[in-house]
Amino acid sequence: MSLSYKPVIWNRTKIIYDAVMLAGIFIYILIFLRLGPVISSALRDTDLPIQRMRAFGSLALLMLTIVLAIGPLARIDARFIPLLYNRRHFGVMTAIIAATHAYYVLGWYFSFSPTPQLTALFTSNTSFTSTAGFPFELFGVFALVILAVLAVTSHDFWLSFLTPPVWKAIHMSVYFAYAAVILHVALGALIDRRDLALAFLSLGGLATLCVLHLIAGRRETSADAAASKKAPEAPWVIVGDLSEIAEGRAIIGAAPGGERIAVFRSKGGLSAVSNICSHQNGPIGEGKVVIGFITCPWHGYQYRPEDGCSPPPFRERIRKYRLRLEGSSVLVDPEPLPLGTKLEPLAIPAELLPAVAAPKKEGTV
Amino acid sequence: MLKPLERGFFVGYFKKVPADVRVLMIGFIVFFIAAMATTSALLSLNTESPGAGSYADELSGEHLVGTMEVKPYPILRVPADGTKPARAVMLAGSGKFGVDDRALPLAGKTAQAGGIFVKRGDLVMLLIGGEDDLKAAKLQIPALPVTPVSENLGSWRLTGEICDGKCSAGAMKPGTGLAHKACANLCISGGVPPVFVSTAPVDGHIFFLLASKDGGPMPAALLDMTGLPVVLEGNIERRDDLLIFKIDSFREETGA
Ligand code: HEM
Ligand code: FES
Repeated sequence: MSLSYKPVIWNRTKIIYDAVMLAGIFIYILIFLRLGPVISSALRDTDLPIQRMRAFGSLALLMLTIVLAIGPLARIDARFIPLLYNRRHFGVMTAIIAATHAYYVLGWYFSFSPTPQLTALFTSNTSFTSTAGFPFELFGVFALVILAVLAVTSHDFWLSFLTPPVWKAIHMSVYFAYAAVILHVALGALIDRRDLALAFLSLGGLATLCVLHLIAGRRETSADAAASKKAPEAPWVIVGDLSEIAEGRAIIGAAPGGERIAVFRSKGGLSAVSNICSHQNGPIGEGKVVIGFITCPWHGYQYRPEDGCSPPPFRERIRKYRLRLEGSSVLVDPEPLPLGTKLEPLAIPAELLPAVAAPKKEGTV
Repeated sequence: MLKPLERGFFVGYFKKVPADVRVLMIGFIVFFIAAMATTSALLSLNTESPGAGSYADELSGEHLVGTMEVKPYPILRVPADGTKPARAVMLAGSGKFGVDDRALPLAGKTAQAGGIFVKRGDLVMLLIGGEDDLKAAKLQIPALPVTPVSENLGSWRLTGEICDGKCSAGAMKPGTGLAHKACANLCISGGVPPVFVSTAPVDGHIFFLLASKDGGPMPAALLDMTGLPVVLEGNIERRDDLLIFKIDSFREETGA
């Protein structure tokens, strides 16, 4: 977590993740530039720099599509969470591949000219009023700038420097980058060549992403819409029944106003914390208590159940909420306590303990 | 209430990966690699041939000798010599440069030009190399037959694409189309002669050197029309084997 910022803290999962990603990239480029020209005479007759810009451009688009699919996939099925874990590297690699594409474009279409490369990029085509013929490169520039900013600020240092809400807002602009790339391809290569495979990659990818985001979004909004019932006495809300909470796990309530609260059960006690991880706003309530710490499912940040603080030397904190049992109903006061407030887990009365949900199959760690 | 399915819990720094997560991830890895490979193959194969344009080193160190004309662009009028008919050869420089600066002082004079050709069908352009490749010929005009005047082929309305004559002749492959538009504009602005590739031939030619109505360089407004299907109207004139299209009016093709 955030005490010192080592460039990379390697572990087995990250190594596998990056190895698979790099293998995919390698295979893509190898097939495109080595096998492609052998099989296709049309590609062989195409200039090498153009082969390269097409290879890296289409790869960047493919990677951007995949990276944007990871979020909703992980919302739809928690087993996709490992893809989310190291998504930062995927994003940075996408930016590098896109920059390579732009590098080949600049070194070919915008070179060998009395006009300097960058000036040429912005001034050589000024057909702003037409659709076919529009300087589609500018959409590429816009997307590349965003991807580069995101890559540069992707490290956790920037996350804590900018604060998670600001960081998250900046990183949502990846959707603008994606929209710009789609326009870039649609107004450029697609009108130009009517290439079926490219159309499938760009428009098929767009459709797939829309569907995935809609499915994930619907689940989230319907969860929010089913706000937790108010208890007879204000300000309490009923989050659920004790029997629904498995040991080491949580149920998530939606307070009025949409704030989500996770109630964890661990070692005979209950603790209510904000559902929003202070790292990248991950859904803590979908996490687990691991050796006594509430652990976020996204990147594994940990918090103490009693005060919502990360164990030293880390300094992340999440909000805690007051909690009460009414019979076996779990009630929460949606007014958060000041950050860092210590509140011992609410002991579950002995007579309710048998109501514990069936023990889980998988062990903790 | 959101109730996550009870599934194995994964955190990246754990050694153990739950069985259900592992199965899905192995499946995903296979899918990912297969998807990368197929997409790459499909995208690389799905391409059009850039056609037959190419470089041709036909002079092999020799020179072409002829009269230098500079309107609309530098053209060397090479007289007929027993075996070959008279030729009008468009000239360009290396890269996206024309040869205006070197050709203008030679206007009307006999010049000798060397370099390498780019050729696509009847589109031919001579790319002048170093300083020494374009200079006044030792032998001056009186020794050479007088250049014939241009012949007027009348008014035409043609559909086609405006490109730079160098890339479309094969200096870049492909050297036409929208992806190449900015590049073509740079060439044309840099002084490389622009050409029109017509969808229908005139007098056996589908390539025309573009000029303004009064015979000067192509109007700058036409830069907005490069790389697209357009309709041009104007007068066509023949200089030796080269047809010159002097533009009166132009519009984007409306697809009708
Ligand atoms: C400075 C930024 C950029 C410039 C100047 C640029 C320029 C170009 C040009 C000139 C082409 C046409 C190539 C051809 O078909 O011969 C092209 C195609 C393409 N670009 Fe970009 N681009 C930029 C950024 C991007 C980015 C950020 C992405 C994606 C993340 C991207 C994805 C693509 C794709 C997928 C194609 C189509 C490839 C194909 O023809 O098969 N570009 N770009
Ligand atoms: S969001 Fe990264 S650990 Fe919670």
